[in-house]
Amino acid sequence: MRSDWLAEIVDRSETGPYSKESEFDLILVRVVPELVKKHGLKFDPEVLVPADDDMADRLYEAGLELLSTTGVYNQTTERRIILTRDEIEEVVAAAPRKVVLGTGKDAVTMSHRGVESEERCVIHSAPTGTPCTEKYHPLILQSAAREPLVDCLGSGSVATYMGRPVIPGTPTEILAARLGASVAREAVRKAGRPGMHINDVATPLTAQGKFAAMDQAKGLRSSDAFLVSQMVELKTDYDQLSRVPHMQNAGMHVVDLLTPLIGGMGGGAEGTAVVTIAELLLGTVCYSASYHIFGHMSLMNVNNTDRMGLWIYSIGGQAIARNSPLLMINAIYCRSGPGTTDLLWEVAAGSVATTVSGLHQGGVGCTGGSETDVYTGLEARFNAQVCHAALGMSREEANGYVLEFLNHYETSLADPNRGKPFRELYDVELVEPNESWLNQYEEVSAEITTMGLDMDRGWKRALETSIN
Amino acid sequence: MPLNKWDGLRREINLGAVEASAAEALRLVEAGEDPLTIFLEGIEPCLSEIGDRFGRLEIFLPELMLSADAVKAIQVELLPMLEADGSDYMKKGRVVIGTIFGDIHDIGKNIVSVLLQVSGFEVRDLGVAVPAQDIIDSAKDFDADIIGISGLMMPSLPYMRDAISLVKENPELADRFRIFVGGGPVTREWAEMVGADGFAEDAVSAVEEATRLMKLVKGESV
Repeated sequence: MRSDWLAEIVDRSETGPYSKESEFDLILVRVVPELVKKHGLKFDPEVLVPADDDMADRLYEAGLELLSTTGVYNQTTERRIILTRDEIEEVVAAAPRKVVLGTGKDAVTMSHRGVESEERCVIHSAPTGTPCTEKYHPLILQSAAREPLVDCLGSGSVATYMGRPVIPGTPTEILAARLGASVAREAVRKAGRPGMHINDVATPLTAQGKFAAMDQAKGLRSSDAFLVSQMVELKTDYDQLSRVPHMQNAGMHVVDLLTPLIGGMGGGAEGTAVVTIAELLLGTVCYSASYHIFGHMSLMNVNNTDRMGLWIYSIGGQAIARNSPLLMINAIYCRSGPGTTDLLWEVAAGSVATTVSGLHQGGVGCTGGSETDVYTGLEARFNAQVCHAALGMSREEANGYVLEFLNHYETSLADPNRGKPFRELYDVELVEPNESWLNQYEEVSAEITTMGLDMDRGWKRALETSIN
Repeated sequence: MPLNKWDGLRREINLGAVEASAAEALRLVEAGEDPLTIFLEGIEPCLSEIGDRFGRLEIFLPELMLSADAVKAIQVELLPMLEADGSDYMKKGRVVIGTIFGDIHDIGKNIVSVLLQVSGFEVRDLGVAVPAQDIIDSAKDFDADIIGISGLMMPSLPYMRDAISLVKENPELADRFRIFVGGGPVTREWAEMVGADGFAEDAVSAVEEATRLMKLVKGESV
């Protein structure tokens, strides 16, 4: 990759074709269905984990064609950053196939995973998109960091600082960012894993807020990461782009966050999948991402555990896994909340669909982020166990499991049980799940074991690794 | 069974066929239909149905946007006739709309903006991350009747409350503007608590809410 690529992105942002944002949206709305038709992409609600290599490759081609047709919309300059197909392919080919996350004994290597791969998934965990209270934020992070199968931590977001609202661009944002980072650092230290990779501090919204969270001793380090966001769909701005050179020069990992909306500009499942591929390529070209958060969600329900969401995960993951070296983690946005078996079934479906399709695990977003403190480390443990159980599984077998899991929660998606907050599910002194939440976890784990998945495979594998 | 006289128009709008929709509307005028009746009986029920189907995700945003584009094309053709007839159909009200400071999500706000426009409202869309005072200033400048504020992220809610306070604590502005709010973390209870005049759960109900607020502006019963 050329070292001056970002300067070129700025040049094109200043000189590319001008268009109102609504006009760019209309271009997408017209181009995406044409690509879906041209490449013969078809969503089958009964085959959520397709074993169709050719369709995965056609999807990749459609995404590449979309990005090279529309370019990227820069909201700051209201111009399109035009990229040629050759340029995109060149940058993607040079993207990292593996990265080291974290430092010292707690470092993990996240490698490109293929379809149906036995390659171990790296497990990230965090209250994904879920706001936390100042009081319980430290305990919530600790509950995830102490889970042995969790490899990396996200720090989540808190809306207040000392009881006051966090105002972007003001000292409260800086103070809250520094506090959030120190809480995350303390969580991994208390877990005995001080070098664990921390993948963001989500409280600050501005670039200055993000960088206030950098602190070698008490905050984020060069072995950690911040997210750089895309705006829906295929949009960026100078605030997001400007984060990239700073992080590159600090030696930090850039994480590309994309949240394509199912039912949004891309339309249904097929079109949203095309947009997703284009955005994964965008994050590679414009953000030089170490890895990508593949975080599509329903426009209406803010989840990706329905049939369309699971299909996009699977076929989109396969398209990238088969045609590029990119590293992806999921973000399982669920309708239900912790303290319900529905949540665990949603997590199981998302975990299996993504594991066999080339993704690593990024964490669980309970209630689509609509409630506060609705996250616990137990769903991270469960996510990791299901993922380990699905390593090397065929897509046909995975499809059977996903459909079975879906049977347990699909009818509740319309009116989900939002569950309970952390304080009602954990002993807040010991930071351990309480009996009722453990019972639900054990009930679903036992049922999944009966179906034929080895829920202890992750533990066994960890033991084998330590012996060998 | 004979076709409903609006079927052709509705079919073209549903297809998002811009030129064909405008042509069909003109054909109906030539056949003797009153332009206002075309909007009230032909287009509004069609838009309402499209909005409902979108709400159930039976159709998706592209179809909604293309249909809206088709209706805009009809508006361009029929607006001079409506004005010549002295109709104020396309002047249902003036709305300033934006995503509040602290938030960069715009898709919900954009949908509301489009649906308001095709429903006969004059809309000034301020974009995203708009400071509270800028919304008020734009509302004055645009001579708005209604202010619509959107926010998807919880940290943006204090700014939404600030914008409402700026209006409600100033008697001159409180009489002048009606405010409605919406977005992921916004509930009807929260909207009432902070003094908003209206709340919209989704884009379709936003049009209904704006229509209700315009009745309040005009002193009509709701």
